[in-house]
Amino acid sequence: MSTTPEDSRGIGTDEWVAQHGERAQRGTGLYARIGEAWMGLPSLVRWGIPLLLVVLVPFAGSNDYILRIGINLGLFLLLALGLNLVVGYSGLLDLGFIAFYGFGAYAYAALASEQFGLHLPSLLAIVIVVVTTAAFGFTLGLPSRRLTGDYLAIATLFFGQMFVVLMVSSDAVQFPWMDEPMDLTGGANGISNVDQLSVLGFTFDSNLSYYLLLIVLVVLATVATKRIHFSRHGLAWRSLGEDSLAAQHMTIPTVRLKLLAFTLGAGIAGLAGAIFASVQQGVYPSTFELPLLITIYAAIILGGLGSIPGVLLGAAIMTILPELLRFPEYSNWLFLVVLILGTIMYLKSWKLVPAVFAGMIAIGFIANVIFLAIGVPYLTTAEWAKGPLAPVLGSWIFMPEERVLIGNIAFVALVVAVAWMSLLTRRTTIILLPFVLWLAIFTWEVRLMLEPSITRQLLVGALLVVLMATRPQGIFGKPRVEVL
Amino acid sequence: MEYFGEQLVNGVVMGGVYALIALGYTLIYGVLQFLNLAHGELYMMGAFFGFFTMTALGGPSASAVPVAVMIGIMFIVAMGGGALLGVAVERFAYRPLRNSSRLAPLISALGVSLFLQNAALLLFGARVRLYDTGQFIDLRSGISIGRIRIDPTEMMVVIGALLLMAGLWLMVNRTRLGRAMRAVAVDQDAAVMNGIDVDRTVVWTFAIASGLAGAAGVMSGLLLYPVDQYMGVFAGLKGFSAAVLGGIGSIPGAMLGGFLLGITEALVTGYLNPTYADFIAFLILILVLLIRPRGILGRPAIAKV
Amino acid sequence: MMSGSPESESNPTPALELIDITKRFGGLTSLDALSLAVAPSEILSVIGPNGAGKTTFFNVITGVYTPDEGDVLLFGESIRGVDPHKVARRGVARTFQNVRLFQNLTVRENITAAMYGRTNASLFDIVFRTPRARREERENEERVLDALSFFGTRLQGYRLDQPAYSLSYANRRRLEVARAMATGASVLLLDEPAAGMNPKETQEITEIIGRLRDERSYTIVVIEHDMHVVEGVSDRVIALDHGVKIAEGSFEDVATHPAVIEAYLGRGSAARK
Repeated sequence: MSTTPEDSRGIGTDEWVAQHGERAQRGTGLYARIGEAWMGLPSLVRWGIPLLLVVLVPFAGSNDYILRIGINLGLFLLLALGLNLVVGYSGLLDLGFIAFYGFGAYAYAALASEQFGLHLPSLLAIVIVVVTTAAFGFTLGLPSRRLTGDYLAIATLFFGQMFVVLMVSSDAVQFPWMDEPMDLTGGANGISNVDQLSVLGFTFDSNLSYYLLLIVLVVLATVATKRIHFSRHGLAWRSLGEDSLAAQHMTIPTVRLKLLAFTLGAGIAGLAGAIFASVQQGVYPSTFELPLLITIYAAIILGGLGSIPGVLLGAAIMTILPELLRFPEYSNWLFLVVLILGTIMYLKSWKLVPAVFAGMIAIGFIANVIFLAIGVPYLTTAEWAKGPLAPVLGSWIFMPEERVLIGNIAFVALVVAVAWMSLLTRRTTIILLPFVLWLAIFTWEVRLMLEPSITRQLLVGALLVVLMATRPQGIFGKPRVEVL
Repeated sequence: MEYFGEQLVNGVVMGGVYALIALGYTLIYGVLQFLNLAHGELYMMGAFFGFFTMTALGGPSASAVPVAVMIGIMFIVAMGGGALLGVAVERFAYRPLRNSSRLAPLISALGVSLFLQNAALLLFGARVRLYDTGQFIDLRSGISIGRIRIDPTEMMVVIGALLLMAGLWLMVNRTRLGRAMRAVAVDQDAAVMNGIDVDRTVVWTFAIASGLAGAAGVMSGLLLYPVDQYMGVFAGLKGFSAAVLGGIGSIPGAMLGGFLLGITEALVTGYLNPTYADFIAFLILILVLLIRPRGILGRPAIAKV
Repeated sequence: MMSGSPESESNPTPALELIDITKRFGGLTSLDALSLAVAPSEILSVIGPNGAGKTTFFNVITGVYTPDEGDVLLFGESIRGVDPHKVARRGVARTFQNVRLFQNLTVRENITAAMYGRTNASLFDIVFRTPRARREERENEERVLDALSFFGTRLQGYRLDQPAYSLSYANRRRLEVARAMATGASVLLLDEPAAGMNPKETQEITEIIGRLRDERSYTIVVIEHDMHVVEGVSDRVIALDHGVKIAEGSFEDVATHPAVIEAYLGRGSAARK
């Protein structure tokens, strides 16, 4: 084999061929170029800019609500980093992860509230909480070490459910040596009046203080995670996630590492839980249910399993977007923007875009005519439309009086249509697109807007399904090759 | 003694329901080596379908058709609807992932679960539904073994479950479809090379598994368990535990596991504390996975290195 | 206990020794009272028809299976039933029949991962970037290049950061050998290292196996079907059939042994030869 000259970058050399895969992934469109430009910046800048923005948020008018969202985001980021340690590298599908968050919160509440009359100093309480939650994680990891993917998933899912049941039903626990039953966890009402954090005389009594604290913690956690990622442990976890048996043959103690992943992940979740309890000044069992778990998974999968920027971005998206859904005006905008952008990206050709949207608008008016002809009772624009887009939407979307019934029918029709479309050729899909787009907006306005929290869950669920089918590696992940 | 008998009866009845759910898990796992996390939601949907069929026919108080016919139609709709839903889920959420990583279908199943729960919430509302069986079945009739009473609903559930299981057993062991399912379960590629349409076999497997879950849902409702969109979560987990107990991948195992779990739960509820009933299934699962992962009737898995 | 190899008393401790190893799977006896010894820096080839128990024999050594009877000694110490990762740390590394690389990790990462057992940095060291962590990082980088240098320019330069799944088949097999070397082992078990290679690549791998012993003093056991490799590489050859050792000796001895010919070509072939 002839070796290629060092300075030859010509087409057809070994190197050029080998990097074909990378080039194919890179793409050449506008997004790709922006992405490349961004990645070209020194890493300090890439991380520094978002950090700067985040730090400056409170100063752009200290709106307490925004700070509260920021706190939620910070907690979520910690959880995401912890979960990434467990799932992202080793592929250990722990569906009970939220139980550690809950355990941390309850443990902190037990140590720093009126529940047991304990008011331990915050630092001590947090250390105890983190250590015990980590031990708890270790205990869950022990029976799990021999479980493979599917079994581990369901077993941990069950565990997570049992945790909540245990918390709810432990408000009257009769110990044999006591006369009366003891209220351990406050039952379904949880524990209130949890102490705020107080370190070295400084009490965290404002959203701003917690916000800044979380910034510091997230930065520290990110740096630590990055270092671990490139360390022998990070590589060992990733190897065991690839091929556990081969990893063992290459000196990697897989059992020990699985336990370590569980323990560390639990510890981080415990820390987040403790802070959560002190921010909320209470802890309630309903928080730690399945929807929160699935949202965290959605976050790290959307961002890209195993990728630290991906995990952080995913967590940000999954925290902020659902907040926007609470406000009909913003959510309308958001939905339309996402729909339009999504359609444009799918069509890829600028020529089709106006045609599709014109068709959609036409179908809307045609639908109105049909509804009127049938004689469906409706609401006037003033009666239902809100926000800046009201006049436009009001004249284009037919709002029936029986919103729930007709909205439900539209919803079912929409789900069926979208599912069916996934089976059609591209050409047929594009022809049907105007109708489906109108149906989507119709369903959104008529029915989904009435139930923001349900809609949010529906979207997360749908997101997971679609993501797995189209881009399982998420935003920042690299496409993986699996040997089955 | 009769208290024990009553608990036993409760256990057998619930066991029948668990067995039907467990069968669904085992069928799908046997054929695809995949644990369908969203299986419980099909049970939930079946319960709702049955409920709405009942009210559509005028029930529970003023049924337009004879009670037996009404119940029959409820089962047909629930099982058919469940089957359709299961097939759709397989087609759109799982089939695209057949050659993906092991994690992808599990994540997708999580998404399906969440989606179905909230779709039920959206379409049916948050109100908890009750079948109110007492209005169309005289719960005071029924048979008595000694001084232990078994009401008609309980008899119906047990007999129905046994009939379905018998039907399933016959199908798997005596029909071409059953043979195809067994072949795909052992070696998918070899099955293809023997002219078996794997996709179609998988579709039928999901249809049957989901149909059984739907039937279980109706039975649960008839037994006066409340019907809401979260009922599938625990039922699914317990059904899974039952399947593991009996030996995942084994049909008689699922049946055995279901009844064993039901009886154990009933005895614990009756003699210890009702709140611990939910924990039993979890405890059983962990114990089985630790001590004898292949379950009672399962065969040990030998992987070629 | 006749092992057919030079008696242990007059020679140094064998690097690897199997004593009466029996392994059964249900009704099937995969290895039947197998005994053999490999001297330090010796290259031993194991041949035999498919299903003879060759890979099982590797699996028993590395601890994937615990033998039903018998013992496995590494430099005189028993490693019977020891977990694979401990066996690896004690100095036995292997490659697999179906190339089991860490597909989505890069070449460099595949090799660095295998150095886990040779490094000691704790999580504390890593999170706080202590001098020990940084030193081990540097050492690892050197070891990666060292392991890969054995294969010339093939896996160098830009290839280091390519994911393993993008490598050519032959390169994947080479990477697997390099990864095994990276564990710091002194005994290598190579499971069909030349499978699927063209004559030129086969020639190369034969040379490399020889160099591994000559330059780095590895003790090597090779399972192979390609007799060119076996002939070019082996100090001794052992033939297995149905879990039983049916011949042992130099390549010429074994290749012409009637039992071996019969095992490969069927009864009566030996007579015809």
